[in-house]
Amino acid sequence: MSVGWTQVALAGLWGGVVAVERKAFLQAMLARPLVAATFMGGLLGDVASGLAVGMLLELFYLGTANLGAALPDNDTLVATGTSAAAATLTLATGAGSTPAIWSLSVLVFIGLGRVGRRMDRLMEGYSARLARVALSSAEKGNLQRAMRQNLWGIWPHFFLYGSVTAACALAGFFLEPLMVALPNRLVRGLAWAYPAMASVAAAIAAQGSHAKRAPLYAGLAAAVVTAVLVLLNRQGLP
Amino acid sequence: MSTSAATVRDASLPAHVLLRVFLRSLFLQASWNPKGMQNLGLAYAVYPALERLYPAGPAREEAVRRHLVFFNTHPYVAAAIVGGVVNHEQRIARGEESPDRVVAFKAALMGPLAALGDGFFWLSLKPAVGAVCATLVPLLGVWAVALFLVLYNLVHVLLRVRLYWLGLFLGDRLVEAVARVNLPTKGARLRAVAAASAGGLAAWLAVSFGAAAGGEGAPFLAAGCLALGIASYVLVTRRVPNYVVLYLAAGLACAAGAFL
Repeated sequence: MSVGWTQVALAGLWGGVVAVERKAFLQAMLARPLVAATFMGGLLGDVASGLAVGMLLELFYLGTANLGAALPDNDTLVATGTSAAAATLTLATGAGSTPAIWSLSVLVFIGLGRVGRRMDRLMEGYSARLARVALSSAEKGNLQRAMRQNLWGIWPHFFLYGSVTAACALAGFFLEPLMVALPNRLVRGLAWAYPAMASVAAAIAAQGSHAKRAPLYAGLAAAVVTAVLVLLNRQGLP
Repeated sequence: MSTSAATVRDASLPAHVLLRVFLRSLFLQASWNPKGMQNLGLAYAVYPALERLYPAGPAREEAVRRHLVFFNTHPYVAAAIVGGVVNHEQRIARGEESPDRVVAFKAALMGPLAALGDGFFWLSLKPAVGAVCATLVPLLGVWAVALFLVLYNLVHVLLRVRLYWLGLFLGDRLVEAVARVNLPTKGARLRAVAAASAGGLAAWLAVSFGAAAGGEGAPFLAAGCLALGIASYVLVTRRVPNYVVLYLAAGLACAAGAFL
């Protein structure tokens, strides 16, 4: 096993950038799982893993929102960490991107959502200190210093989440011996776990859509898609 | 009124200052904190306008301090309040109204606009665009990601700029203009789109994986995946944690995939 330090550094950089974009600046949805994970895959040379992981996590976290003071699980950290690990694991195995790798990465790293939420809460304490410094500076007439405090709130997001994402990319390289040692049956099972998890994520997404008749809309669409695909398969069409 | 007309420098703001205020409003949540929430971000955003309107000294310090009090709203819709604050500050600087008006303006609008923004952007547009584009991944590949960014930001950026503009030029009257946009009705339609897309994608993944896997057990595995989706929906609505449902489904599928 050899570690690709360039990949680890790139993962950290992108993880830090999207962590800032998630709440502190702009919020143009670069931090959404679908976008953040796919870009991560592209940066690390494995778009397929990024896209597959991003699609699943986008659905899983579709209904979460940062409303008022309530903090949801950190979907961005999960997306960047999981996609980085999946990409480096693919790179380390050298056998190409597979559903088994996507499943393993999701199962190992999805807990980062809770970890990220705790880290978010910790950083609120730091921001509260910045607000106090800004207030006292404004009281003393030092307005420039007071205003500067706002931007100091950005850097901890960048460094903290960037470091965690880099650690996930590194962990991907270390998972390679485990992946290689898995029996074939288990690898086949892990491959099947991906569509099963995607089905679950889609169900969670339908529930999290907040639509009044969500089961009806989701059920109708599922029935139509299933009928069309079965019909196409019977006629031998791709 | 603490700011007399005698202390006023120039109560009209040039375009570059207005642009700076808008760009700085993109950092509204950079130091979000539990006590003041977006207070520091708001003061940071409007500071270039205050710098221009009030001479250095007590008048400017007082103007900054009145924006360091508690403030919290939806970050996009906040553009309307930022524009409105600049509108009010210009009038305060001209001596046409008291500073209390801008404080009352913020306090009156931040709650209703937060509810409007959360309902439309966080709970409707984001899930709808996310679900539609995730559904399109099997068809479009990475282009689905580009579509996500274009579709979402077309609405987001245009509304953000328009709301800033409305606040800037209408001040208190922006409420009527925002009400005319009728965001809640549009939000309800978007939520239905999100639910339908999620259902369609679940079916697509299960059936297409079944077809790709081949073999005698494949149709059963595909049907099993669909059944898992339905069971998950029921479990989640009964408040079983999402993570538990995900691990349970993965475990079942893993066992089925390994032994079938």
